[in-house]
Amino acid sequence: MDIYLRWKRPSRLVDNKRMRTTSDFQWLLSTFVLLYLMNHVTSQRKETPYDLKCTTNNLKMWDCSWKAPSGAGHGTLYEFCIDNRSHSCYQLARTNIEIPALSHGDHEITIRSLQDAGSSTSEFILNEKNISLIPDTPEILNLSADFSTSTLHVKWNDKGSVFPRHSNVIWEIKILRKKSMELVKLVTHNTSLSGKDAVHHWSWVSDLPLECAAHYVGMRCYVDSPLFSGHKEWSDWSPVKNISWTPDSQAKVFPQDKVVLVGSDITFCCVSQEKVLSAQIGRTYCPLIHLDGENVAIEVHDISVSDNSGTNVVFMIEDNVSGTVVFAGYPPDIPQNLNCETHDLKEIICSWNPGRPTGLVGPRNTSYTLFEGFSGKYIRFKRVEVSANGSYHQLLFQMVPNQEIYNFTLYARNPLGRSEATILVNITEKVYPHTPTSFKVKDINSTAVILSWHLPGSFAKINLLCQIEIKKINSVQELRNITIKGVENSSYRIAVGKLNPYTVYTFRIRCSAETFWKWSKWSNKKQHLTTEAIPSKGPDTWREWSSDGKNLIIYWKPLPINEANGKILSYNVSCSSDEETQSLSEIPDPQHKAEIQLDKNDYIISVVAKNSVGASPPSKIASMEIPNDDLKTEQAVGMGKGILLTWHQDPNMTCDYVIKWCNSSRSAPCLMDWRKVPSNSTEVLIESDQFRPGVRYNFFLYGCRNQGYQLLRSIIGYIEELAPIVAPNFTVEDTSADSILVKWEDIPVEELRGFLRGYLFYFEKGERDTSKIRGLESGRSDIKVKNITDISQKTLRIADLQGKTSYHLVLRAYTDGGMGPEKSMFVVTKENSVGLIIAILIPVAVAVIVGLVTSILCYRKREWIKETFYPDIPNPENCKALQFQKSVCEGSSALKTLEMNPCTPNSVEVLETRSTFPKIEDTEIISPVAECPEDSSGAEPENHVVVSYCPPIIEEEIPNPAGDEAGGTSQVIYIDVQSMYQPQVKPEEEHGKDPAGGAGYKPQMHLPINSTVEDIAAEDDLDKTAGYRPQANVNTWNLVSPDSPRSTDSNSEIVSFGSPCSINSRQFLIPPKDEDSPQSNGGGWSFTNFFQNKPND
Amino acid sequence: LDENGDSWGMLACLCTVLWHLPAVPALNRTGDPGPGPSIQKTYDLTRYLEHQLRSLAGTYLNYLGPPFNEPDFNPPRLGADTLPRATVNLEVWRSLNDKLRLTQNYEAYSHLLCYLRGLNRQAATAELRRSLAHFCTSLQGLLGSIAGVMATLGYPLPQPLPGTEPTWTPGPAHSDFLQKMDDFWLLKELQTWLWRSAKDFNRLKKKMQPPAAAVTLHLEAHGF
Repeated sequence: MDIYLRWKRPSRLVDNKRMRTTSDFQWLLSTFVLLYLMNHVTSQRKETPYDLKCTTNNLKMWDCSWKAPSGAGHGTLYEFCIDNRSHSCYQLARTNIEIPALSHGDHEITIRSLQDAGSSTSEFILNEKNISLIPDTPEILNLSADFSTSTLHVKWNDKGSVFPRHSNVIWEIKILRKKSMELVKLVTHNTSLSGKDAVHHWSWVSDLPLECAAHYVGMRCYVDSPLFSGHKEWSDWSPVKNISWTPDSQAKVFPQDKVVLVGSDITFCCVSQEKVLSAQIGRTYCPLIHLDGENVAIEVHDISVSDNSGTNVVFMIEDNVSGTVVFAGYPPDIPQNLNCETHDLKEIICSWNPGRPTGLVGPRNTSYTLFEGFSGKYIRFKRVEVSANGSYHQLLFQMVPNQEIYNFTLYARNPLGRSEATILVNITEKVYPHTPTSFKVKDINSTAVILSWHLPGSFAKINLLCQIEIKKINSVQELRNITIKGVENSSYRIAVGKLNPYTVYTFRIRCSAETFWKWSKWSNKKQHLTTEAIPSKGPDTWREWSSDGKNLIIYWKPLPINEANGKILSYNVSCSSDEETQSLSEIPDPQHKAEIQLDKNDYIISVVAKNSVGASPPSKIASMEIPNDDLKTEQAVGMGKGILLTWHQDPNMTCDYVIKWCNSSRSAPCLMDWRKVPSNSTEVLIESDQFRPGVRYNFFLYGCRNQGYQLLRSIIGYIEELAPIVAPNFTVEDTSADSILVKWEDIPVEELRGFLRGYLFYFEKGERDTSKIRGLESGRSDIKVKNITDISQKTLRIADLQGKTSYHLVLRAYTDGGMGPEKSMFVVTKENSVGLIIAILIPVAVAVIVGLVTSILCYRKREWIKETFYPDIPNPENCKALQFQKSVCEGSSALKTLEMNPCTPNSVEVLETRSTFPKIEDTEIISPVAECPEDSSGAEPENHVVVSYCPPIIEEEIPNPAGDEAGGTSQVIYIDVQSMYQPQVKPEEEHGKDPAGGAGYKPQMHLPINSTVEDIAAEDDLDKTAGYRPQANVNTWNLVSPDSPRSTDSNSEIVSFGSPCSINSRQFLIPPKDEDSPQSNGGGWSFTNFFQNKPND
Repeated sequence: LDENGDSWGMLACLCTVLWHLPAVPALNRTGDPGPGPSIQKTYDLTRYLEHQLRSLAGTYLNYLGPPFNEPDFNPPRLGADTLPRATVNLEVWRSLNDKLRLTQNYEAYSHLLCYLRGLNRQAATAELRRSLAHFCTSLQGLLGSIAGVMATLGYPLPQPLPGTEPTWTPGPAHSDFLQKMDDFWLLKELQTWLWRSAKDFNRLKKKMQPPAAAVTLHLEAHGF
């Protein structure tokens, strides 16, 4: 038994070792098997101590216990021996012992029970691997709650001093909620043992405010000592500690005034003694979650950003209401575009954009602190106003003396978080000066001024760059940049030169630091008039001799403002020759002309302009005019605003050319204006506001030599040609029966308004009252136009007119500018007697000739006329026709005798006559019998003459001479045209009587059908064949091809079109053309064919 | 809102002028105008404030958010115990004399004005602050008018007891929700007080109306 146990134990230990390395499942399985075996063994060895088990809670001492043998009583002693190097035994009266931890390896344990009955010994092999490490149950030292943050704080001692070695400990903490102890959280917390007692803390934030439900906390631990090879187990759970809140009498809602991040989930609860009816957040009602007692909670998911006053959470309680406010917002955005600059190098302004609105206002708004790293100074941003539109914020930071580099950090903070932005600036490079003030301008001289201004700031250490805007009236602004040393007293002065005298300037200034960052705003504008200077040039001068040639008139132009350099007060004029000098002084300014009586000597005239400062240099001009013999007057027309004059360069001309011009209609002296051009130029474009279109101007080009001026060219011209404003006056000089002589006058130059290019003369027949001048240019055919381009021509003879006729004459002049108005006149030509006589004689002669011709014709055709109009009436007694008829038809008993009693030709009706028809020479009736065969074979139906007899219907059966064609008899039916439809019944009766009729004409329904096609058709429906059928050989006509669709489906009707006239259809019976003509072959005629052929005569 | 209020004020002023036009000073036969005009003026001002409060309350309740701006929201009076109550039993009200009524009015508006100024300090938006400041000015005018009426009638002004001066105390002790409830009730009490004052002044006006045309036009456009 002992051996068994002895052997058994190691095997179990071996198994245990293996178990550590195998999976849990295998371990469990082995344990199960072993337990079974152990039970089996112990049942057999109840006589000895058994089931030795050892645990430890601190790795120092092992606590071993065993089961007493079955016979052991109360006083049984046990000897517990550990068989190691120092064999030690313990005598004890109980079944457990605490022994110091044994070293690694197997230890033989012998337990001997000493009892009255005897002793029994059990031997065990003990190894550390058999020991279970079960730590002591931990104890929570303290459980506290921070209700404002819904946080639980747990504090406990790890009792690390009892463990000899460094070990890791896993703490498992459970949190239970409500009185029903619902587990809400189970967490593990890892620490390590350091060999000393240590107090640990653990905090947990509850989603449900702690006020609303009791919370319980318990914990256990698991020591994971790496050197301990035995079995490790969790400790027991500590006793739970709880946290609860003693409610007020009034209902309260938690959490109170909480700030949360937008989008987060939050639970609100209401602690109430009474029943809560409903809960709402904002306008939204929420389902209630019941907690202990009457307490309820609601869960809000994904909360949206709050309004300014927060989002209200309200619980409706019976007769009461309770609530809280939650503020959902965002943490502060990173301050954007943080920028620091200075206006005056005294104060730094840092501005930034707060970025995304946080949604929190009032005390929860973002607070900003600006911190400077080098000096350690900081300032806080105090918000005065809630900026609705996220505008820029700014802070003023007093500059630190002698510090140029600043390292700013802007901290933004609100209850939900914080952010920051930094900027490192050299403040001397970030100068944005204030707007310059007290801007003043003072004169230095006529071309220079001093500008002074005030620019607040201590810029003594830097240079300023200032920009001066100088603007003249009607001129482009000029910008001048200057660099100026910064001063402490803020006053600046600068001289500005290169200005024009007596000119109004507008100045303004702006500044920046020399290291440019930003320009200041422009200062106010200051207008200033510079002082006067002497005129820089003499006036532009010209001279003209008066019309009587005694006085010389001197003209000059006022000086332009940039040459006058001031207000011109007066002019001095002097004329000097070798002999004498005349002068006129102090001619006041608005007068720009002076007249001096001079003889014809050569004078030099000089004109001087004076202003308040002094006199201008004199401008000189010679009085002499050098004559020019070969002078021609030319024409010129301007272009647009001006007129271009060109000339060839003349080397003799040493000084300027002068072009003067005047209105040609003005009286002398002719001068409107003049213009001087340099001697090297060969063309000039004369432009003047005085030029008007349609006005003729004279232009004179003078060349200047030393002695004087010579007229080189004389030009008349228009700046723009216009149409004449008047029509030429014209009169009729002479009138004859067929011609008119017209004469007209010139148009005055003023009214011509251009160079005359010709006249247009229109004439037409017309009375004064009826003929309106309408659209002469519209090209009416009855208007004749003569264009007279020879402007010297003043008369016009209009020939080939009708006598005694009123003519409308119109004359107009034209220039290149257009047509002038019309002048019209009515003239009646004289009477023409010859024409009248001719008009009488011609009709008379015509009448005589017509009568004569008629007489001759009548005479020559008298026979025909007689036959036509007065035919001989035959005597019925001499009628041979009856006898002839009898003799011919006697042999045939079937034929009826034509009774001639009523045969009095009472009327003869000619239906139609054709030239191709064999002429019926007389009214004697040709026997139809004789005619029949010919008709049936080939006579043309157009020529068929139906002659009706007194009895409307006469039927005859005639043997057909050409009987080989269609056997049987033919019937000829003569019908009156008026009763054409009557005999339709008859042929059917005849058909029954004589089915095999002879040759000759036959009505269609009696005709035997030879054609196979028609045979089929006839068999199909005999009634259909009641229409027309050709009398003779139908096939030879070849009217329809057998395959023609029209022929097959409705043969009877279609065939009748191309056939000789039937009695039913009243059409002509023979095709009009040859048999092989395309129309007859084409399967039938169209109506158009029919009508085309009809009027062929 | 301000412009609207101003125009109504002008209208009220104009109405007052027209009402008193028959009693121009030139026609006045008595030297002392008596309390009538000032009572009338106080009454007019009360009506004007009633109107002004309607628009202010709309804005402010919207600012407080739902459910405060819902028309059927009628919470119990929580924590607003320090506010002077305007509601009074009809019998009690009838038993009050003029002096007592005026005194109660004066005291109530003194308190309400103080709370209202506290409200103004807390308001988050500038527009709301402007509206509140405008209303405070008007209410100050009403207080002055009541003091004027009391002086005319020879009643002494109530002296505030030391330590009972109502002060607005911002602090964490008062939760935001309770603060909102207070604001709600402040507006509600103001409304009731103005209604009650209008009734008081109308009653007083009728009582003080002289038998003949002894009413004098005495317009000092305080408060407008």
